[in-house]
Amino acid sequence: MPRSLMNAAVVFGDVAVAVKLHTATTSERVHFHEVHAKDGARIEHRRFCTEEDKEVPYEEVVRGHEIRDGEYAVLTPEQLAAATPDGDRTIRIEAFVPAADIDPILRDKAYHLGAGDDAGAAYRLLHDALVKTGRAGIAFFVFHDRERLAAVLPHDGVLVLQTLRPADTVVDLDELRPDEGKDAPRAPTAKERKMAGQLIDALHEPFRPEDHEDEHRALVMKLIEAKAAGEEIEVPEAEDVETPDDLAAALEASLADRGHGGRRRRAAPKAAAKPSGSGRRSPARAKRKTPAKTKTKKKQG
Amino acid sequence: MARPLWSGSVSFGLINVPVQLVGAVRDLDVHFRQLHEKDGAPIETRRFCAEEDREVGYDEIAHGYETDDGTMIVLTDEELEAAAPRRSRTIDIDAFVDAGEIDPLLLDHPYILLPAGETDGVRRAYRLLAEVIEASGRVALGRIVLRAKEQLVTVGARDGLLALTTMRFHDELRPAADVDTGGARRPSAAKLKAAVQAIEAMAADWDPGDYEDRHRVRLQAAVEGSDRVEQVDDEDAADGGGRAPKSTASPDIMKSLKASLEKARAS
Repeated sequence: MPRSLMNAAVVFGDVAVAVKLHTATTSERVHFHEVHAKDGARIEHRRFCTEEDKEVPYEEVVRGHEIRDGEYAVLTPEQLAAATPDGDRTIRIEAFVPAADIDPILRDKAYHLGAGDDAGAAYRLLHDALVKTGRAGIAFFVFHDRERLAAVLPHDGVLVLQTLRPADTVVDLDELRPDEGKDAPRAPTAKERKMAGQLIDALHEPFRPEDHEDEHRALVMKLIEAKAAGEEIEVPEAEDVETPDDLAAALEASLADRGHGGRRRRAAPKAAAKPSGSGRRSPARAKRKTPAKTKTKKKQG
Repeated sequence: MARPLWSGSVSFGLINVPVQLVGAVRDLDVHFRQLHEKDGAPIETRRFCAEEDREVGYDEIAHGYETDDGTMIVLTDEELEAAAPRRSRTIDIDAFVDAGEIDPLLLDHPYILLPAGETDGVRRAYRLLAEVIEASGRVALGRIVLRAKEQLVTVGARDGLLALTTMRFHDELRPAADVDTGGARRPSAAKLKAAVQAIEAMAADWDPGDYEDRHRVRLQAAVEGSDRVEQVDDEDAADGGGRAPKSTASPDIMKSLKASLEKARAS
């Protein structure tokens, strides 16, 4: 287990449970540096004063919030520090709410909570009681100079702390909804609904996260290897797609397509070794004329 | 409406629905800009080649991958695109799964897909897809290429609109088994009962609107020069915050739970 990010305590009423905060997620993405295309040298970011057109050392930089166009309210480091409390490493639960009522759209960054020193019994008790009640503790806590709302919930036998987005950051869907007005499109017919429903059923499968590999990560690594070997990389073109006018006919064809193809084959996790063109593609994907595989060719000379 | 972050189409069987991607959450943070203290002028970041010590334009910048032996492999934007060729403008729906089967910790960022185009055909296809997905209680699994990275996504329905959520890959979630839970045995029935009572005594309905973003409020107040900014005790500021309260010791848990219960009932 990696080092904990913070030692803290979950407090509810008179009970304190010492916990260690760990990040629950990692980024496995291929990490790139910004480089100069010509010579591969690192790019440095330098601060320039737009007024004087000269480089500014970090000590001369202050933070300002734009109030009106081009007009800033400057905060001194002291004012900024006062507005961002250091916190007391306490995750003080204000209320226990039904965990299922928390809209997933609000769930943001997740952390694992490990048991702190001598906290095993209290940790287990809180975990089991949360499971039994189906509730999540709602708390404010300060992390990285910022106070955030968070939920403490049981998950897979451990306690998880997940920060929650403020409710007012969720976009009002009625503002996004296309204005139908008088010329609303014709409602889907019963036949279209039925066939679309059948297509959903035909594509239904249990969710197995291991079945979904980051193919892009693997392809990017391949590109890097090809480039390192001095190969030239061919850049593909995008293609256009059209919406069929006859939805019913397209659905019928889609269903027929699945009938002939049988159950779509799923790649085993070690699919990387297989020859290209086998298994992995769904019928919809296999229909595309151009293969999705990366083309490389040896550079001349 | 906000400018779409992406436009392309959702491909469901042989039906392609042109869509635009917009964020389902917006950034309401109080943002700050770096200024030069002396003259209050905004600071601008300029990119310099470390080798040549001269400023370079965006079009001269590429992606460098550093190998274990320190060699820098350089890929341009266009070359990176080769890793995601056909899918860059299409979200192919591969499968449908029960929404309840997806571990919420795999969900990353929420978006909304809106129909792109005024034609009757596009809007009807969009409406059909949103309605049948909503009725099925399932979400579609697919992939999208955003900012040159391919992401796994779910496409579900939310109030008649298609909602897209980017997902983490399974190996980007740390296994719960790695977490040290202290190895305590199952609590006694009496303790569990007392803990459940203490929790129920603090039970409330969930209304996210009850909790304002205090961080934003404080920063806004600071920016407006209001006296709502409280001076915080920064005695322990040097080590990044105070010390956490000590854990309630196992023999004292019952007493603490009972005290909590009484307090909660009294209030």
